[in-house]
Amino acid sequence: MRIYGYLAKKVGDLTIKYSNFPESYVKKSYEQVYWKTPAGYPQYKKAQVARKKYRFTTNRPWTGQFRQQNEPGTLRKKVFLEPIRDWTFFRGDRVEVMVGKDKGKQGIVSQVIQERNWVIVEGLNTHLRVVGKDKNFPGITIQSEAPLLVTSDVKLVDPESLKATDVEWRYTEEGDKVRVSLASSRIIPIPKTAEETIDYKSKELYIDNIEKDTTADAATKITFAPKLRTFEMDIMEEMGIKEDRVPAKSYWY
Amino acid sequence: MNTVIIKNIFRSTTTLCMRSQKSINTAAACIVKRDFHTTKPTQDLMEFFDAKKNWPETNIRVGRAWKLDELRLKSNTDLHKLWYVLLKERNMLYTMEHECNERVRLFPNPERIDKVEESMNNIESVIRERNIAYYKLETGETGERPVKDVINLIGMPEKYQPSEYDTPKFMNTRWVRPYLKHGFINSLAVKKFRRLYNEKIHSEVRKAHNRDFNHVQHLLKRFPNLDMDTLKAEYPNVDIEKAKRTKKSRGHFMPTY
Repeated sequence: MRIYGYLAKKVGDLTIKYSNFPESYVKKSYEQVYWKTPAGYPQYKKAQVARKKYRFTTNRPWTGQFRQQNEPGTLRKKVFLEPIRDWTFFRGDRVEVMVGKDKGKQGIVSQVIQERNWVIVEGLNTHLRVVGKDKNFPGITIQSEAPLLVTSDVKLVDPESLKATDVEWRYTEEGDKVRVSLASSRIIPIPKTAEETIDYKSKELYIDNIEKDTTADAATKITFAPKLRTFEMDIMEEMGIKEDRVPAKSYWY
Repeated sequence: MNTVIIKNIFRSTTTLCMRSQKSINTAAACIVKRDFHTTKPTQDLMEFFDAKKNWPETNIRVGRAWKLDELRLKSNTDLHKLWYVLLKERNMLYTMEHECNERVRLFPNPERIDKVEESMNNIESVIRERNIAYYKLETGETGERPVKDVINLIGMPEKYQPSEYDTPKFMNTRWVRPYLKHGFINSLAVKKFRRLYNEKIHSEVRKAHNRDFNHVQHLLKRFPNLDMDTLKAEYPNVDIEKAKRTKKSRGHFMPTY
């Protein structure tokens, strides 16, 4: 715990879901390990020298921009995050902005950055940015959204009154966990857009890689039949391997 | 005389027939097995490489890893086959990665290696699950390799995995116990090491505690609408009432808690 504790659970699970990568890959891609106990030496205690403090921003942890912002030797001020028990904001949610020049306006969440308690609302809370400025070219001005804190800057919209409301997680009679608006006690369903990842908009729209992917039918086909055999016994029987030799007596210590 | 010969011939023919029947049966079994056999007919070194048309690709997108629940639906034979499919895929990926490094190119989608490894780990755990179920039913034990909690020679708690020997312990003069008997430390050097090591651990725990306490103070200072239950759940070792009273935790607002 002391060795790896500081690396545990830094990237939010929504981020990993969005990336569509295995968790181990995301971790590997942003970690900066300077030294590690070499593999194959069980006599040495497992230890590693790694960077402890990373600055998470709107750049996703597996990207080159993230690596650039966290180059070895760069140290930035600590960011204090308000602890949140249950995350309630998802991509595609309708939210109302509670601060800034767009206070009172409603928009759709386009990005969720759990590592900083941020959401980005489409077209709201924007500033102007000049892109591609050159000696001969004045550049193009674009609008870019600034992130908003989920704890204080945005609130979900109540589906009945269409006004900002606080939200609570509750269970339905069927046992499903749902978000309930505290203003009208109506369920706020999680939008379909929430399952969007880098690779596909929704699970149904994923196009199979014909050569490499197993088809869904083959993956869900039930071929298991319970037998009173271990795996090895079953495989040996299947392959017609007969083993009649009786192992010599052995002692475990 | 003739009849005897004829009889003999018949006998031999029948045996021949039976033999041929047997050989037909075995041949049929071979054919059936070949039907299940899914390896490609080309068995040369190029099987270590990806298909040629994927070489210039920069993005080879594949699905996710096999989940435990999906593997639980599969028979042992299927798992056995899938293991080798994954093993071949992993070999292929390692080869391609090495080759890309050699030619100073970017290896497309390196997360595929992690996906394959995750699937292989999941297969192993499903098989283990099934074997444990069998052994528990038949013998009442898990059938796993036994593990003992011992104190090792430098006084640290360790998981000791016994090994298999052909001679019993009392006869085996070459075996040296790699842990302390009854966990009793009677060496001065070990005692000194343990004292210093415990001191190190103690100071690390103390530092972590102070760090958390400091962090909670800062959180209290910054966030006026902090949910105390969440804070308590996140930092169970911190005395929050004490943190609230300190000067450091006073923010520029009237606290609501």
